[in-house]
Amino acid sequence: MGNFDLLKVKGVSRRDFMKLIAATTAALGLPELFVPQAANALEQALKKPPVIWLEGMDCTGCTESAIATLNPSPAELILDMLSIRYHETIMAGSGNKSEEAYQEALKEKYILIVEGAIPSKEDRFCMVGGKPFRKILIEAAQKAQAIIAIGSCASEGAGIPGACATGAVGVGEILKAEGISTPLINLPCCPVKPTTLIGTLLYYLTYQKVPALDSQKRPVAFYGTLLHDNCPRRGHFEHGEFLKDWNDPIQKQYCLLLKGCKGPKTYTDCAQVWWNDNTNFCINAGSPCSGCSEKSFYKEFSPLYAKQENFDIPGLGPINADTVGPVIGGAAAVGLGIHLVATVASGRLKKDHKEGL
Amino acid sequence: MTKIVIDPLTRIEGHLRIEVEVENGKVVDAHVIGTMYRGIEAMLRGRDPRDATYVTERVCGVCAGSHGWASSMALDKAFGASVPAGGRIIRNLIIGAMFLHDHPLHFYHLSALDYLDIMAVAQYQGKDPGLLAVKEKVVKLVAAGDTAPLTPRYKPDEFSVTDPELVTMAVGHYLKALEMQAKAKKMSALFAGKQPHQSSIVVGGVTMLPNIEVVEHFRSMLLEQLDFIEKTYLQDVLTFGTGPLLPLAQTGVGGGSPHYMSYGGFARDNAGKDLFFKSGLIADGNLSNIVAIDEKKITEDVQYSWYKASANGKTPYTEDTIPDLAKQGAYTFVKAPRYDGKPIEVGPLARMLIMQPKGFMDIIAKYNIKPGAVARHAARAYETLLLVKDMFTWLDALEKEMGSKDFRIHDTDHWEAPATGQGAGMTEVPRGALGHFIKVAGHKIENYQMVVPTTWNFSPRDDLGVRGPVEQALIGVPVPDLENPINIVRVVRSYDPCLACAIHLINPVTNDVQKFQIGW
Repeated sequence: MGNFDLLKVKGVSRRDFMKLIAATTAALGLPELFVPQAANALEQALKKPPVIWLEGMDCTGCTESAIATLNPSPAELILDMLSIRYHETIMAGSGNKSEEAYQEALKEKYILIVEGAIPSKEDRFCMVGGKPFRKILIEAAQKAQAIIAIGSCASEGAGIPGACATGAVGVGEILKAEGISTPLINLPCCPVKPTTLIGTLLYYLTYQKVPALDSQKRPVAFYGTLLHDNCPRRGHFEHGEFLKDWNDPIQKQYCLLLKGCKGPKTYTDCAQVWWNDNTNFCINAGSPCSGCSEKSFYKEFSPLYAKQENFDIPGLGPINADTVGPVIGGAAAVGLGIHLVATVASGRLKKDHKEGL
Repeated sequence: MTKIVIDPLTRIEGHLRIEVEVENGKVVDAHVIGTMYRGIEAMLRGRDPRDATYVTERVCGVCAGSHGWASSMALDKAFGASVPAGGRIIRNLIIGAMFLHDHPLHFYHLSALDYLDIMAVAQYQGKDPGLLAVKEKVVKLVAAGDTAPLTPRYKPDEFSVTDPELVTMAVGHYLKALEMQAKAKKMSALFAGKQPHQSSIVVGGVTMLPNIEVVEHFRSMLLEQLDFIEKTYLQDVLTFGTGPLLPLAQTGVGGGSPHYMSYGGFARDNAGKDLFFKSGLIADGNLSNIVAIDEKKITEDVQYSWYKASANGKTPYTEDTIPDLAKQGAYTFVKAPRYDGKPIEVGPLARMLIMQPKGFMDIIAKYNIKPGAVARHAARAYETLLLVKDMFTWLDALEKEMGSKDFRIHDTDHWEAPATGQGAGMTEVPRGALGHFIKVAGHKIENYQMVVPTTWNFSPRDDLGVRGPVEQALIGVPVPDLENPINIVRVVRSYDPCLACAIHLINPVTNDVQKFQIGW
């Protein structure tokens, strides 16, 4: 049986498949030239790679986000694209039956997906099957062909658990402490974006290597642009138009800086690729960005809903939100000065970020 | 007497360990043990109170929205905010859509594999093209030697559904439900920003000022959900519950506590008097005497929890949350919430027994179904249908509000944190009664506590040594084959446990099961 035949029996039509590849290739910024090659390679890879999906100190939100995808469908993702050998939330077996599945999977050349943080101070804060989750992770990480840490908790900084007293850390911190050299990809966001996870999986399966990563080990393809630079409300920022009242239709699309938006410090593709089948994203819903794709989230970004007292934009020095001035409603611009400052800031930021990669 | 340990108990949210003692083929003692602790409540102390809606939202990514919602209600009270009608209705729609997501997902993806002999699909002999496609899919997975994650599994038993046509249909619906849960999240995200982990619900209301296109998009998706829930989900639950699973239903396997509680939820007026889910308490199984709830009667015990005894009392406003890993006799860090000293079941069965809708009560009476695992599935499916129908009237109400000149979604006058204040946000979320309790001092959070549905249901023994509801429900459960404790997972999963929500949890000791017995 050829590999594409195998695909077909899994219910994936070639057309759907090519569509998915084309979309992903575009998302990764590759020329269309790559499409047939990618499709070919993926057909090869589609003996369905074995996946071990571990959950540590998590909320299952990343699993829920992964199956929020509609293209490909959740069934295609979990039954057709991947061979999910161990995943506590979806697998049939419990107890010794799940342990059995886990031990079998460990013998294969699997991809390890990790959701949730790891307690570094006290193993008893997260135990699975009577064993410390930290030790389970170390064993699985050593044998994996690659590790994808999904969501803010498993990525550097450990998101909200990282701010708690349990000493929660991300996968990268554990690998470093244990001297494990298995390739690691971090896909922060709270929860992981399904498009980011599926795109990264397809890239890895296609090219059998990790995509270009930034200093936080995030794929540049998804985390290479500053949210603030792509924000649909950027024009209002530059005109000094800031939302103060969520009830006012005139202010509806105004900049959320005074509501605490972390967009100027956050690298994510949220503004270009929206959530839930391109339905919406925080800023479009009038909610300030919390910066959940950054290692500074949540500890250094709290308080979330207060204007930043000192917006320390790299290369520029602090912008105090007070200097932005009070909003007088309507389209009242609060000064050409801000416009210039913002433009300089964005220019500098782009430069600095590129240098940092 | 034999001890059985199931760890991890999968297809739930979070990490759960179950230990039971079996004698003469029946469970005679049970301990439910959560194995994770994150310490989110303690971390909130000293922070800007407005952070609480965002941070507690992350307690659970399955019942996404639930904690942000309850938190916002607690904050509304502490801030003195009055949420305008627009904000109230949009909050309801965001969470309502997540009920439509959670309940079918629980039935098809978290529970159904306990009741279906999935390999019976291969025996399907009918000619229905849809079912043949399902058969082909499963047979090919088997042929490719890769049936993960559908196997390995516990062996099917005498309660398992083995009829090839029924099983094939159910597997087809399992796949369909996968698509519907993604669509339900998409609906919620129309108002919520994204799902899981919406960002729209904040103290005072919501942040998304909708336009009519968004409302109508939601309505068209709601129609598709109604069709699925009425014709597929509820129909499947009734087909199984009154068919192959009727013996399980009539013997009330997994009955548990006779006390039920619902805080009430989904206000249809600003005064909060007209609630979709009714509020009330049933004691000792007396369905004809539903009494009003008094918030002051809620306390939490920690005698058997890995927790320091609170120096500041047992009520959610005052109690501490300080881990004590060395505590003698403790076996879990789930606290033991009690109402008027009683362990209480919360969730869909409690809600339906308090609301007593005629259609549901008729089914229970006609088939002589006792409270238990099957009744919980039936209650869950029935309330989903009632809810999806009611949600159309919420959309109508929203559109009416949008037509008024002073349409508002947020109480902007009460956005800044007060110097002092306190408030409780008590509502109904998919898994049951959820309470968030906040105390504000010096414009910061002084104390924050969550008493969540899974803490009620998966509570350990209390200070008097009385078992929690699930521990009670496991007593008497038949385990004819010690190697195949499938009835235990059926009973546990019927509560739709969410252990990440019941976050006071910790697994105290080691692999050594015997150690657990010391001090019990």
